[in-house]
Amino acid sequence: MAVMTYIDAINSALREEMARDDHVFIIGEDVGKMGGAFKATKGLQEEFGVERVIDSPLAEGVIISSSIGAAMEGMRPVAEIQFADFITPAMDAITQQAAKLRYRSAGTQTCPLTVRVCYGGGVSGGLYHSQTNTSWFIHTPGLIVVAPSTPHDAKGLLKSAIRDDNPVMFFEHKKLYRSVKEEVPEGDYTLPLLKASIARPGKEVTAVSYGYTLQLTLQAAEKIKQQFGAEVEVIDLRTLAPLDKDTVLESVARTSRAVIIHEDNRTLGVGAEIAALIAEEAFDCLDAPIIRVTAPDIPAIPFAPPLEEFYMPSTEKIVTALEQVLRY
Amino acid sequence: MATQIEVPERLTFPSNCETVSADMRIPEPSLDAALLRRLYSYMLKCRTVEERIRNQFRQGRFSGNYFAAVGQEATEVGVTIDLLPEDTIAPSHRNFITHIMKGTPLNLLFAQIYGRNTSPDRGRSSPAHCGYAALNIITPASTIAAQLNIGTGIALAYKMKRVPNVVVALSGEGSTSLGLWHEAINFAAVHKLPMLVVIENNGWAESVPVALQTAVADISTKALGYGIPGATVDGNDVVAVYRAAQEGILRAREGKGPTLLECKTYRWYGHSEIDPAKYRDPAEVHEWKRRDPIPRMEAYLDQRKLWTDEWKQELLAGFEKEIEEAIAFAEASAFPEAEEALDHVFSFSIRDRELHRKTWEPVLDQRR
Repeated sequence: MAVMTYIDAINSALREEMARDDHVFIIGEDVGKMGGAFKATKGLQEEFGVERVIDSPLAEGVIISSSIGAAMEGMRPVAEIQFADFITPAMDAITQQAAKLRYRSAGTQTCPLTVRVCYGGGVSGGLYHSQTNTSWFIHTPGLIVVAPSTPHDAKGLLKSAIRDDNPVMFFEHKKLYRSVKEEVPEGDYTLPLLKASIARPGKEVTAVSYGYTLQLTLQAAEKIKQQFGAEVEVIDLRTLAPLDKDTVLESVARTSRAVIIHEDNRTLGVGAEIAALIAEEAFDCLDAPIIRVTAPDIPAIPFAPPLEEFYMPSTEKIVTALEQVLRY
Repeated sequence: MATQIEVPERLTFPSNCETVSADMRIPEPSLDAALLRRLYSYMLKCRTVEERIRNQFRQGRFSGNYFAAVGQEATEVGVTIDLLPEDTIAPSHRNFITHIMKGTPLNLLFAQIYGRNTSPDRGRSSPAHCGYAALNIITPASTIAAQLNIGTGIALAYKMKRVPNVVVALSGEGSTSLGLWHEAINFAAVHKLPMLVVIENNGWAESVPVALQTAVADISTKALGYGIPGATVDGNDVVAVYRAAQEGILRAREGKGPTLLECKTYRWYGHSEIDPAKYRDPAEVHEWKRRDPIPRMEAYLDQRKLWTDEWKQELLAGFEKEIEEAIAFAEASAFPEAEEALDHVFSFSIRDRELHRKTWEPVLDQRR
């Protein structure tokens, strides 16, 4: 075991996968000599050469569409979108091509690519370097959407994503890159792509989250225990699409209460889907209304600190919601 | 003006290539007689198949729509004839007939437009949006320049694997207005990808004339902006198209990078079968029909004693028979089962998830 940051875990997964399979290559802006804006690909071009770590033109559309074609032809591309905010020029490639190719060809043509997307706020990134737009992709069947919250999960899930036969959108929260450290197994290990995890077991309320807000939710759960003695079960979705419904609903059946926390906008965020699933499939299990702690429905994260703070879910906001549900 | 622009590596065509233009000169060396006859017979076959498909649509034998390339056969045949099975065609909605060139069985093509379970896409993709994995033809999306974009990645993989295969991408002049088109050409140029990028300039993007699409006289001059060779040829001259395409394909196979080839041609009918194309001047349509690539090639072959009407009738009889069999095959094929709509979303099945939803009961003994 080695203590790793989230960004180290990403870098290590990429290096190991490139060494394991010479069909794996990286393409994106600044990924080569510079090693990526956040250093996720640091040292990889040196180690694997310019053909396998490609500094692309500044054009997200062709970063993704060239990856789709290469994947069709047996390669295992890992494309990097430097900021989730800049993914829009690639939306045609992602939603119309990658997500639909297998379907429209009845499984005869497929594109196993991984798109690493750096997302998320809380770092004074302003309107165009902070967005959480995971819902766009959750709403696009044909894509697997993964958003790990820990270094351990980031490494195991990225390796699984690269080996998976489906297009995978792999969301990495930039605030997690260097703020979380934990022990990560050395050498090869993978995690199942479609499985949520119970990050903290509990029996009185289920708190569902992913990514950076999962870390906040764990902090909130600890506070609830200290203040009220109540045990919060924290579920880390890990994969947002297709959702691991069973892990969430099984938990709610035991706890009878649910709070969902995410940094994406409220309307049609993953919280809306989970609340609907609970209502449809586990209605009799509920003893309290479901509460969502989310970003408000505003276009993006504003820059000035009080504005950004207002936007972001926080430990305090999560504690308040959990308390409200527990007191109902 | 456009022809005065110097591109970095000027190709030799069309100035000294063999053509079937008005003067009917016979340059040396001529193409092989068998090849000339095949170019002609393929054009005739493509025309026969598409006119039959249009007829089938009007009779309500299949639903949806169809996007005919009638009038554009010289371009589509000239750029795709004699591709290797390993080469990729990146087609658009109007390139259904390139399947005939690559060798997709006619049975499968008719099953495709009929939406039957024997189609390569099992009734998923809409008529004319046909792919065929066995022969490396990308199943097209309707979004414009899409397959050209994906084609860059296939070409990148060919280059990485050091195989001499090429990608021939086809799209209309309208596609060159789109940002994605430029991203793709630029990327292919930077990485010297083995591609022939064909622009079928048929004058009309649905109802919008080319003059409202671009301010350049020849779209091939856009190649200058990307540092690659470009050329414009008479897209109704199958020999000129063939010569130019072969040069571009050879460059690609030799690792010299992509070529932009504009073929000026004309779409005889509407954008699709439900478009009567009333926005066009009938005189323009008439003028282009006069330049029909098939009679032009007939005259060219006839002059070389390579064509007779008996041979043509023989060819047509053979095509008709093959088409009849393909229609019978399609009509005898079943539609897909309704629940197949849930298949091929992922590499794993979602049927159970979608069809059998659970109901959860409270686990009471654990409640507080």
